Amino acid sequence: MILKMFRRTSFLTNKVLNEWDNRIQCFFIDLSGTVHVDKELIPGAINAFEKLKKTQTKFKFVTNTSKEAVSTTVQNLDSLGLQLSKQEVYSSLTATRDYLVRNNLRPHLLVADEALEEFESLDTNDPNTVVVGLAPMKFNYKELNECFRILMKPENKIVAINKGRYYKTRDGMSLGAGPFVFNLEFATSKEATIVGKPSKEFFINAMKSIGHEDPSTCVMIGDDVNDDVMGAIEAGMHGCLVKTGKYRPGDEDKLFSVGGDPEPYPAKERCLVANTLEDAINLLLP
Amino acid sequence: MSWLEKPVKALLLDISGVLRDGDQAIVGSLEAFQRLQEIGIPFRLVTNETQVTVQKTVEKLSKLGFTSISPSLIFAPAPAVATFLKETLSRAFLLVHPNVLPEFDGIETSDPNCVVVGDAAEHFNYSRLNEAFRVLLRLREENKEMQLYSLGKGKYYKEEDGLCLDLGPFTAALEYATGADARIFGKPNPVFFHAAVQDMKMSPDEVVMIGDDILGDVGGAQRAGLRGVLVRTGKFRISDENHATVKPDGIVDNLLQAVNLIMSHYN
Repeated sequence: MILKMFRRTSFLTNKVLNEWDNRIQCFFIDLSGTVHVDKELIPGAINAFEKLKKTQTKFKFVTNTSKEAVSTTVQNLDSLGLQLSKQEVYSSLTATRDYLVRNNLRPHLLVADEALEEFESLDTNDPNTVVVGLAPMKFNYKELNECFRILMKPENKIVAINKGRYYKTRDGMSLGAGPFVFNLEFATSKEATIVGKPSKEFFINAMKSIGHEDPSTCVMIGDDVNDDVMGAIEAGMHGCLVKTGKYRPGDEDKLFSVGGDPEPYPAKERCLVANTLEDAINLLLP
Repeated sequence: MSWLEKPVKALLLDISGVLRDGDQAIVGSLEAFQRLQEIGIPFRLVTNETQVTVQKTVEKLSKLGFTSISPSLIFAPAPAVATFLKETLSRAFLLVHPNVLPEFDGIETSDPNCVVVGDAAEHFNYSRLNEAFRVLLRLREENKEMQLYSLGKGKYYKEEDGLCLDLGPFTAALEYATGADARIFGKPNPVFFHAAVQDMKMSPDEVVMIGDDILGDVGGAQRAGLRGVLVRTGKFRISDENHATVKPDGIVDNLLQAVNLIMSHYN
């Protein structure tokens, strides 16, 4: 069974690569699980990075975090041995900022204090949009009521960085931003626009930030088959699943059908599987 | 005014938005209330108020001039759910306002197997919501039913300084986080309306509910077989007159107009 899948995977890899040849012009690379796991770089990550720079390929590292500013992410990576510039990292916060600017929106920011830095220089007077990020310190009645009152003006909107239900913390599972976005959606009968990873808005904004308009010229490399690969494919990009970080054997089956002749599956032609980021880069940048 | 065509034998009145707005009596409501007591039409006060006990509600109304209201005339969610918790021997995590805790005297709170959400207002903070969430998550992981009881599910209400989030959005947040389905005690649950109607020994079609909440008061009453009349006071908004799903049996400016219409129609 495993051998059958392996054979099919490499057959598809060659088939897919041929189809992709010359099409991929820019690379989006996930950070957590793809470049590093906690405080350790994944072997080959620096090589991959250097190859991207040497070949002058367009790229951005992407991350879902909405609790820390990009400058903090860059600092943390620097301490692991990977020197990136702020411009080389695109986070859900960056995408949110781009979305607000592109749509001329004046935000009321319900985001963590550490994230506020990303929104400096935006006009926040007389807000017409409430932006909700992961901000446990601000998920209380007083703050939510203020957001609610702003949203009761018919033309005002909700922008959610993401709608995660809960996440793992040191002392157990904790409520994510999603329930609080839903709190405001329920109170106001409005629907939030989600702009962080892995929403379509996120990938489109990331692509535009690099000067591209055609998602099929982009590839997203990541360890999360749902949030990295499927998310990108749904935005019209190509995807490459790497077998590090969050990856679990069998994840690729979510992209390929199993058993017998592979059925046409939307993701199949647009996805590769590679062992690590370095392998992915070598496959795609021979 | 189709709601007057059938006899109006008894009334259910909402409190907040019909009798009072925050700490003030609504214009005309005191007069309306006195008239009701004069003509002797039976009524019950049906409220989703859960920031304070029924006793306190009676006191607050009395201070505003709505006197001689016996606590037995008031139907509120907290006593209703407390009775239910006792009958089912439930152990509850109480995400409620501290001032309403006396209604839960005698309820076991250790090792909770259910969550009760009331209008905790400024006591809705991340830490308490997270605790409630973890109770539900633990039940789910133990393959037990996630019992989530909500004392109403109103979206917002009106205070003097503007609109305020009600408990509904917080119940909704817990439902979203866990996939639980809250059971509602209070408006708009038909059981709640029926309890008040039966207490007056009436049948639903003999009773009119007057309220400012198009969904909770009017919609809820109609689904319970009563007539629902909307007042243009309290949290009323113009858009409520053209609501997508609820068509009130009548719309009046305020309680006084409603009472005057009842009196002139039946004289």
